[in-house]
Amino acid sequence: MTDDKYRAPEHTPLEGRVFRPANEAELQEAVERAFDYRGDVTLELRSGEALEGYLFNRDSSGSSPCVLLFPKANQAVRRVSYAEVAAIAFTGRDTASGKSWEAWVAKKASQRRAEAQEAAEAAKARGHL
Amino acid sequence: MAVPVSQMYTVARYVLTQKLKGVERYPLVLMLEPLFRCNLACAGCGKIQYPDHVLDKRLTPEQCWAAAEECGAPMVSIPGGEPLIHPEMAEIVRGLVARRKYVYLCTNAILLERKLDEYTPSKYLTFSIHMDGLRDEHDLAVCRDGVYDVAIRAIREALKRGFRVTTNTTLFDDANPERVRAFFDEMMTVGVEGMMISPGYSYQKAPDQQNFLKRKKTRELFARILSNRKRGWRFNQSPLFLEFLMGKRDYQCTPWGNPTYNIFGWQKPCYLLQDGYTRTFQELLSGTDWDRYGTGRNEKCADCMVHCGYEASAVEDTFGSWSGFGRTVKATLLLNGH
Repeated sequence: MTDDKYRAPEHTPLEGRVFRPANEAELQEAVERAFDYRGDVTLELRSGEALEGYLFNRDSSGSSPCVLLFPKANQAVRRVSYAEVAAIAFTGRDTASGKSWEAWVAKKASQRRAEAQEAAEAAKARGHL
Repeated sequence: MAVPVSQMYTVARYVLTQKLKGVERYPLVLMLEPLFRCNLACAGCGKIQYPDHVLDKRLTPEQCWAAAEECGAPMVSIPGGEPLIHPEMAEIVRGLVARRKYVYLCTNAILLERKLDEYTPSKYLTFSIHMDGLRDEHDLAVCRDGVYDVAIRAIREALKRGFRVTTNTTLFDDANPERVRAFFDEMMTVGVEGMMISPGYSYQKAPDQQNFLKRKKTRELFARILSNRKRGWRFNQSPLFLEFLMGKRDYQCTPWGNPTYNIFGWQKPCYLLQDGYTRTFQELLSGTDWDRYGTGRNEKCADCMVHCGYEASAVEDTFGSWSGFGRTVKATLLLNGH
């Protein structure tokens, strides 16, 4: 499931998709996709809360499967049980999308310079250059 | 061999102690990732593909030191992200050096000249500079022009100030053996202590998935690069690992040899695969189904020959038997052109 996504990320984009699992197996699949995703997701909880953040871990073993997430809005790690999740939306940008080496090499030199300059200016603004 | 005798002695004593204690799985190098933010965006890197709020998170010095103590490995490699972006990196390094860890600070060197004043030369501290080849190849690999020249200037300045400096080089499927050999010549002329080389691995989360080396091609490439090697070349890694890359011997992966700790916790199972995280190092060791990983056991591992999985296997071979030790001595002599 997740391997296919990495082999052909441009052909099966998850960005913008919403998974509303109908059963446990579908929920597990949606969680695995969210775990592998290179952007933020939004968990729609059964309580009605929408929780946006980076899902970095999951534990489907044991009696109370859960996911761990760095919420976008604050620092503390949030633990959410599978049972609380009603839907998973891939709301954040896929951070690797469109950045392949081929794309870099194929670009005209002028575009490459402009892009390199843009990245350098962003790093400079943060004081990293 | 470029590695100082004191470091070799420390590692040998550590490994032999683990063996005498009957420890089945022990770490050799802690891969400590204090942040994922980088000032480059190399297409082959799978370490920086996160949203901004994750890239802004960092391990504190205390978390770094606690991880080093918990893990107990004699060496700590600090990759990233770009470690020199971390505002407390010098403090982190000082704390690790105080704990007598041999620290390899892996940097693209863009900020190195500017930050050198914050560090003190020590046998425990090595700046491991990311160099993927001569100017054209390196600037292409890191997707930014001019980085090679900046790095060379920083290496020269660090060497002038008495720091230990090595290079780390990742080779992809377009590598030209003759150019790589010319790069080795150049690095030796610049005066680095030693070089580390490894084939690239197809990170799950890297944007570029097409240019990584397959196993057969890896062996052919490294055989062409490392056969008839020049006397002056110095490598900062196990000679048996280099023979493994050349296809002269075969190893199974030792994923627990280089455990990884970052803002998410202890990474399962290795530096390259992300199958989840644990809160403690012991949970990583005891809670990972290690038999699921390695060549022939997991398709994600099929083509991997990367140092973080196999260098520990080579070290285990060296200290596992007298014949392994003999192989290492022989390979070392060959490596030095005898």
